[in-house]
Amino acid sequence: MRDKSTKRLLIVWAILTALTLVYVWLDHTTDANGTLHASSVVTVSAIAIALIKVRIIFREFMEVRGAPAWLCRLTDGWVVVVAACLLGSYFIGSAVA
Amino acid sequence: MTNLAESEHVTVPPRRVPGQPDMWLFVLFEAMLFTGYFSVYLALRTQNEDLFLQSQADLDLRVGVFNTIVLLSSSWAVARCVRAARAGQYRSAMTFAAATVGFGVVFAIFKVGEWIHEIRLGNTFTSSEFFQHYYFLTSLHLIHVLIGFIVLGVLIYQLRSPLRRSQELVETCATYWHTVDFLWVMIFAMLYIVR
Repeated sequence: MRDKSTKRLLIVWAILTALTLVYVWLDHTTDANGTLHASSVVTVSAIAIALIKVRIIFREFMEVRGAPAWLCRLTDGWVVVVAACLLGSYFIGSAVA
Repeated sequence: MTNLAESEHVTVPPRRVPGQPDMWLFVLFEAMLFTGYFSVYLALRTQNEDLFLQSQADLDLRVGVFNTIVLLSSSWAVARCVRAARAGQYRSAMTFAAATVGFGVVFAIFKVGEWIHEIRLGNTFTSSEFFQHYYFLTSLHLIHVLIGFIVLGVLIYQLRSPLRRSQELVETCATYWHTVDFLWVMIFAMLYIVR
């Protein structure tokens, strides 16, 4: 039972690390010549990957997976609110600019 | 049928809040504060995109990635500490708590090293709007890391004596440290990746 839990934590860490390394690939594909370029795809992907990572941290490392339903809903709701705030600010800001 | 239902009821562990609920209120409060800041940052960024991109080019992504993996490792270590304490393996729990502190120290050293590097390049708090946000967010986060060292110190102190051990306290301290980790995950995306 304990080995299973230990293995699961290691797999979670590996997934989170792999998701972090996706950023390096994202960075190389958009800024190949060393100059940074504005990109909505990269911005939306960066926010999405970060929120996926945060949700995994909530559920697995912070043990929300085994917590009462209200805490699961509260943390999931927070992720949705953050996504709406960040993407909303970015797209409204871009439209105004 | 009733017996089966009863036996199933007995085997399913009760769902409970990890740590003290007060800490969760603090976590969500902190998370909302940072969300507000990130929203303003993203909106301001779109008004002056080229300037932000120029300044952002001076950041070394490798340092950001390294520091993110270090903090993720610290989160993994403190999660192992919680599991070990729950299993009554307190020596192992203390080792993982100490490893968490070690990862935190590595993070802090690299963060300060990055600041020194940026200042040498001429990127100070007043040099550009992007670096104002960079120094504000990273220093605010580092303050959370330093508070985390105190929290982890309390955790190790409590684990050392059988009279002081409390699983709820272990989980509360771990919840705080995980918050330090997930806030960095967001800050890293905002400062190093967003285009």
